[in-house]
This record gives sequence, structure tokens and C-alpha cells, in this order.
Amino acid sequence: MSLIEIEKHEIEEERPVRIRGLPFFPHFLLREVVVMCLIAGSLILMASLYPAGLLKPADPFDTPTPIYPEWYFLYVFGFLKFWTWDIGPLPAKVIGVTLPMVLWYGLLFMVPFIDRNPSSDIRKRKVAVALGIIAILGILYFTYFSIVHH
Amino acid sequence: MNLEDRIFKWFDERFKIKDLLTSVIKHPAPEYAATNPLYCLGGIAFLCFMILVTTGVFLAMYYKPTPLEAYKSVEHIMTVVPMGSLVRSIHHWAANTMIAAVMLHMMRIYFMGAYKKPRELNWVVGVTLLLITTTFGFSGYLLPWDQLAFWATKIGTGIAGSIPVIGEYISLILVGGTDIGAETMTRFFTIHVMILPITIAILLLLHFAMVRIQGISGRL
Ligand code: HEM
Repeated sequence: MSLIEIEKHEIEEERPVRIRGLPFFPHFLLREVVVMCLIAGSLILMASLYPAGLLKPADPFDTPTPIYPEWYFLYVFGFLKFWTWDIGPLPAKVIGVTLPMVLWYGLLFMVPFIDRNPSSDIRKRKVAVALGIIAILGILYFTYFSIVHH
Repeated sequence: MNLEDRIFKWFDERFKIKDLLTSVIKHPAPEYAATNPLYCLGGIAFLCFMILVTTGVFLAMYYKPTPLEAYKSVEHIMTVVPMGSLVRSIHHWAANTMIAAVMLHMMRIYFMGAYKKPRELNWVVGVTLLLITTTFGFSGYLLPWDQLAFWATKIGTGIAGSIPVIGEYISLILVGGTDIGAETMTRFFTIHVMILPITIAILLLLHFAMVRIQGISGRL
């Protein structure tokens, strides 16, 4: 693997910094192509081993059980089942849908503006890292909750 | 001068491709990004997207977005159309892999603090991309018109409909009537194959342009 030394002006840096880099072509691209082949290969393999399913035709008068949404929406279902408390005039159901969708995405959008700590060193970002891990555990928990409380 | 050089020269004289090519070819990828597999995740999401577009176009040639024909057309794809089952299954797996890759990509950005100045807006574009990717999944789920598709969509639109203030409108726009039916289907189909692909393409362009302008973040 051949390395080239390049001068690069990072936008946030005043002085030019020397970093070691690989030229995009052919070195970096080659690595990308290898990864692409691996992913494409696994997709074909999974598709052949586990083809996409097709159940009985839709029938609006026959509710099947259980009904699962896609796995990445399970946490919303889970939270809705989990939250059973009214707060003041807000019914539990409204809180149950607002928190995991509106509030969660609102928070996500705001991340760079909430976290004003300029450091990107993981050891100096204890609060952000802790909150991130709590969020992931929360999503996993509510996903789990939606599966067991079906 | 051999043929290759002459062809190159022909184009270079007209489009100055030499400058363009060298800036792409010589553009350096930092070593830490080239050797750390976590930096692959965005690219994997993009690869999945390209596979979804390709397989999706083939599916759209056979799929019929009406309650009467949808199920039959999917069944037809699965049993009669050559390679149809494979193409639909790859579409299915690429969709799930894309969502997983986008989520992991986001976690890398979060834990590496790659959203900090000057990349705040690229994070905002990113969260929109996550929203679009999951909406892709949601709108595609209804299309086969089987029991799961119908009932999961009924509950999903019900939940979206109970969001205060905006929920009513979301549900009106999505369902297009009182119950999931022909109206819902054409809407979901349009969202899935027209609106979302165009939106995501524009946002991806922005996303990649920002990565290119700001460079990949990393330890210096
Ligand atoms: C369709 C979905 C997405 C695609 C195809 C995509 C693609 C990419 C690619 C190829 C990169 C280059 C570096 C890398 O791969 O790690 C990148 C960087 C970046 N992405 Fe995404 N991305 C997507 C979604 C997101 C999401 C959901 C977020 C965050 C909420 C995000 C935030 C960022 C940021 C801040 C960078 C710059 C990182 C840096 O400079 O180190 N992206 N994206």
C-alpha cells in the first residue's frame, strides 16, 4: 500500500496540517470495491436463502395476530404499550406517540446545537457518550418490550 | 500516439477532463478513514440505495398498484417472472440492510463527534435522510397488499394520525380516505417510487457535497 504525504487545510484549522493519506484512485477505490462486492454478495446470499415473504391476500374484515411492523418501528409500538400514564390534560396515548416520534426526532435534529462541547475526543465527552448509550439502550428496551407484550 | 491517447485527447480538448480527473483521482482519503471500517457505513448505505433503485425499477415493471391486482402481480413476480423472486428478495434485504447501515453510520458520527463545527448542517441533512429511509420502508410495506401489509399499515397510519395537531393531516395525506384502500395504495406507490427517491437524491447530493467541501473529520 503506497502512502502519500499531503498538505491539507482543515476548515477549522488556521495552519496547514500534514496528514497521511491514500490517493482516492486506485487505492481507496479498490478498498471500496472489495467492500461493495462483500455486501452485494451477502445480499444475494440472504435473498436466495430467505426470500421475501408473501402472506395471504389482505382482508379488511379479518384481523390477523400477531401484526408486526418493520423492526425499526417496533420501539414506537413498545413505547406506546409501555406508557400508560396521563399527565395533566395530556392523555397517555398522545404522550405515547409524541415522545418516540416527534420529541425523539426533534432531539436528534438538535444534537449539534445542544452539544456545544467542541472536543471530539471521546474521553472528554462523557455526558454526550452516556446520553448516547442511554438512548440506544432505551430503543433496544422498547423494541424488546413490543415483542414480549404482544 | 495510440488510440487510447487519441480518444482521451479528443475529449480533453473539448471538456478539459484532465483537470477534473486529476482532482478526483488524486483527492486524498485520510489514512485513518481508509483503514477504519466504521467509515464504510455511509458508503454501504449508499450502495444499498443504488441496489434498491435498480431492483425497484425492475419490480415496477410488473407491479400493479391497485387493491385488486397488487397481490396477484407480486405473486406473479415471485412465481412466473424469471429471476423475479430473486430481484424482489434482494430489494427486501437491501432495504433492511440500508436502514441498519444508516443507523450504525449515525452512531459512528455521534460517538466520534463528527457532527461538530463545521458539520452541524450535515448532521441535520443526515437526520432527514434517516427519516426518509424509514418512510421508504413504511410506504413499501403496504405495496404487496397481503395481510401483514394491510394491517401493519392500518395500525401505523393510526399511530401517525394520533400525533397532536399534525397527525390528522398526516393521516389524511397518507390514507386519502377513511380506510386503507385504492386511494391509499396509489398514494403509497407515488410516495415510494416518485416523491421519496427524488427527495433522497437531492439530499444525498447535498450530503456528499458537504463531506467533500468540509473533508472527513478525524483525529489530526
Ligand atoms: C441515506 C443515508 C445516508 C448515506 C447514504 C450517507 C452517506 C455518507 C457517506 C458516504 C459519508 C462519508 C463518510 C462515511 O461514510 O462515514 C457520510 C458522512 C457523514 N454523514 Fe452520512 N449518510 C447517510 C445518513 C446520515 C445520517 C442519518 C446522519 C446523521 C444523523 C449522517 C451524518 C453524516 C455526517 C455528519 C457526515 C460527515 C462525517 C465526517 O466528516 O466524518 N449521515 N455520509
